[in-house]
Amino acid sequence: MNTKHIAVIVFCLLFIGCSSVSLGGYYWGKYSYTYHDLLKEPSSNTRAAHEETLRDIIEKSKEKDLRVPPGVHAELAYLLSFRDANEEALGHFEIERKLYPESQRFLERLLSTQTNKRDVK
Amino acid sequence: MKRQLALLMSVIFFMVGCAEIETKSEAYPKMYSESEKPLSILVLPAVNKSTAADAGDLLNSTLTIPFADNGYYVMPISIVSDIFKREGIVEGAQLLGLPSSVFRSNFGADAVLYVTINKWDTSYIVLAANVSVGMSHVLVSTTTNEVLWSYDQTIVVDTSGDSSGFILLDVIKTAVTTAMTDYIPIARRVNDTAVLTMPHGKYHPQVGKDGDAEVVLKASKEKALEQ
Repeated sequence: MNTKHIAVIVFCLLFIGCSSVSLGGYYWGKYSYTYHDLLKEPSSNTRAAHEETLRDIIEKSKEKDLRVPPGVHAELAYLLSFRDANEEALGHFEIERKLYPESQRFLERLLSTQTNKRDVK
Repeated sequence: MKRQLALLMSVIFFMVGCAEIETKSEAYPKMYSESEKPLSILVLPAVNKSTAADAGDLLNSTLTIPFADNGYYVMPISIVSDIFKREGIVEGAQLLGLPSSVFRSNFGADAVLYVTINKWDTSYIVLAANVSVGMSHVLVSTTTNEVLWSYDQTIVVDTSGDSSGFILLDVIKTAVTTAMTDYIPIARRVNDTAVLTMPHGKYHPQVGKDGDAEVVLKASKEKALEQ
């Protein structure tokens, strides 16, 4: 193993070290990758993969004692509402609102339009 | 990561030499005013001036993290873009005439972020090839309609690689690596460098303490406003 190899390994370790918790103090997991896939090819598979990422972010943030990043609970709730898992969805909307009071107006409007739609059906 | 970005910034400064540099608080005083600084940001669908039709949509996946990491509440982009789509808005240009107060009443956002994609392309010059991504970011208050923060940035990546000594082989190799070059990581770098000039928000540990950082290229700040 020459110095070049060592340099590569050190660089990789450095990269892994930095990538788990961001500069802002959040754990993002595979967020941008699974969201990118979902945008590129919306399907039940990519949606499930993104849902898994969101759950992983929430779980790991808890383990690492970090604040869950903005929007993650809301996004998970939104995905769940498509699957008609409304009770769980409401729970996550509520956590988002408590964690980030700035989201209150947005979530209220979102929920009222979603319930309206359901009433119309 | 931080060191890497700092290095990148210093390289940029080195290259511009005598260009005028401002501190964050000189460049963006409203971001430090108690009454005007935003807590939440609504990212609008991008205005796409490039030739790549899908650039705006894909860009969405790169915008949450840098701005959230900088301490702001970013309205969940995946939900927001669905709402806009339902209203028939897929291109940021459709929103340009609207007063920004609309976004306060409908989304409760303190500020809206207009992103313009100026460049998202590849240029070939016989043996060499460049992939460039250029964007301007403009943050506007939804209460005063004034610009709070703006920055314009283009990153060019040379994809030609090492020469093998055989011209034909080099041409093919360049074409192949260039075709495979993904724009998304470059777009991420553009966002990251732009956000470096942006004052930290409420959830950032250094909020309010970064006013003296000399990181704002005046020309880039002003160029973003020309879009």
